[in-house]
Amino acid sequence: MGLVHAEEMTLNIGPQHPSTHGVLRLKVKTDGEIISEITPVIGYLHRCFEKHCENLSYEQVIPFTDRCDYIAAMNNSFGYVLAVEKLMDIQVPERVEYIRVIMAEYNRIASHLLALGTFGLDVGAYTPFLYMFRDRERILDLFEITCGARLLYNYMWVGGVSHDLPLGFMEASYRFLDEFEKNINEYHNILSYNKIFIERSADVGIMPKDVAIDYGVTGPNLRGSGVKWDLRKDEPYSIYNRFKFDVPVGTGIMGSVGDCWDRYWVRAEEMQESIKIIRQALDKIPREGNVHEALPKKVRPPKGSIYFRTESPRGDLGYYIISDGTPTPLRVKMRSPAFTALSALSEIATGWMLSDVLVILGSLDIVLGEIDR
Amino acid sequence: MKNYFQNIWQSITTLLIGLGITIKHMFKARKGNVTLQYPEEKWPRPERNIGFDPKNYNIIRSKLHVDIDDCIGCRKCERACPVGCIKIDALKVPKETDLGLTSSGTTKRLLISRFDIDMTECMFCNLCTYPCPEDCIFMTGGPNSEKQPLDYEYSQYDRSRLIFKFANVTKNDIRRITTAPPVQQEIL
Ligand code: SF4
Ligand code: SF4
Repeated sequence: MGLVHAEEMTLNIGPQHPSTHGVLRLKVKTDGEIISEITPVIGYLHRCFEKHCENLSYEQVIPFTDRCDYIAAMNNSFGYVLAVEKLMDIQVPERVEYIRVIMAEYNRIASHLLALGTFGLDVGAYTPFLYMFRDRERILDLFEITCGARLLYNYMWVGGVSHDLPLGFMEASYRFLDEFEKNINEYHNILSYNKIFIERSADVGIMPKDVAIDYGVTGPNLRGSGVKWDLRKDEPYSIYNRFKFDVPVGTGIMGSVGDCWDRYWVRAEEMQESIKIIRQALDKIPREGNVHEALPKKVRPPKGSIYFRTESPRGDLGYYIISDGTPTPLRVKMRSPAFTALSALSEIATGWMLSDVLVILGSLDIVLGEIDR
Repeated sequence: MKNYFQNIWQSITTLLIGLGITIKHMFKARKGNVTLQYPEEKWPRPERNIGFDPKNYNIIRSKLHVDIDDCIGCRKCERACPVGCIKIDALKVPKETDLGLTSSGTTKRLLISRFDIDMTECMFCNLCTYPCPEDCIFMTGGPNSEKQPLDYEYSQYDRSRLIFKFANVTKNDIRRITTAPPVQQEIL
């Protein structure tokens, strides 16, 4: 009897799979239950964002940026309008700046709630998902009274925002923040400190510092690996330098630095920081002001190009815009943070069990709309 | 042999008994206990209280509506639309033709022979409603409830019926107005 020839088996996960957070196919080579190779296959959600931009005016691109990262649409259009404003040298009114920050941070909370909820779902915890969606719903309600839409807002405009805050927004905001702060503790008790959850996520899918940096991973995934890097703090854009907040990093409380639990934890802590920012912004926002004051008659930036990056809930979101002086951009390139996070998957998931793949994937919090564009 | 035919007989009788039961149920069916004929009949809209009155919303995203009597055919909405789902044909008319005024008092100079909005293509970005000088294209409901009640479902049997046609002039009207002989001048 010779040795039993152990063949590797190729397994397909997706493209239609509830835990792939979109339409993603993973080609997994398994040796028994251990993963020896994993290749993400992307492009199922490609909607020609960059080609569309070549044929649309600058304002008309904004709804398309919303549709790239549909979970955090406010942050996506925020980055785009800031880039165009810098290109055109527009100074927006104070009130607009504050409204934008409030909206962006609200959307960050909503996005993180979805990320944490679905991460729990991937691990097998169904109840926290429902609780988190209940709170996310209330943020979406706030967006709905402001701009009519719940997911794709087209709210940030070049030089302003589409509508001023509606009546009752402030009171509703304070009420929501008070209640939400309490709910975060509830989440920690029901999910974060749950033994089963910790067993599934701590010490799994460790992303060391140097791997994260080598792959260009940014945002909560990078901070989960212990690197203190947040564009809101390190390269403040808009008015982020006026707010006091901390940058939470993963410290390996439950396992080692850079594991799935750390990435989860950083997101949970970031929600606290976002609450702090929103509170300060609500207190300091100028009560009067016309949000349409600085809207340019025609959005027609001078010849030139710009690269501008902002901190979206998924990380370092950059826009590279080339203008040839016409009302249509010559080129809009988007640097997607979720794309770089996914590219690191094959590195960090190799060697883990098959059942860990979806946990690792869920902890990276990718949005396929942004990866494929 | 006897067994064989008995089997067939049994299956036929039991089947008929079963069918009889279902037919009896068909006639017994109470009204309201059967499938809802959806686009014709609808369940009432569920109550949804988020603590705000829809009238206090800044805007709402539902179905686009055009007050065609107010439209001057400037095509600003058509140009603003990123996906190009608004199609307008505006015809030049002889100078003296009186097309009336809009509700804000602007003289209408163009005859709108076609104003189609393809709601299957629309992505509800609301960009078309901002540039309109007469405020005559808007989303129904919400703050516009007074002008047009909320219509968010607009389900149809066929996709082609989701292309909403707002122009209200007939072919005859178009022929009459655009080729109107300048007789009026002589009378004046
Ligand atoms: S809402 Fe947007 S997509 Fe729809 S018709 Fe208006 S501009 Fe076009
Ligand atoms: S912008 Fe208003 S007035 Fe002009 S064509 Fe459109 S609906 Fe008519």
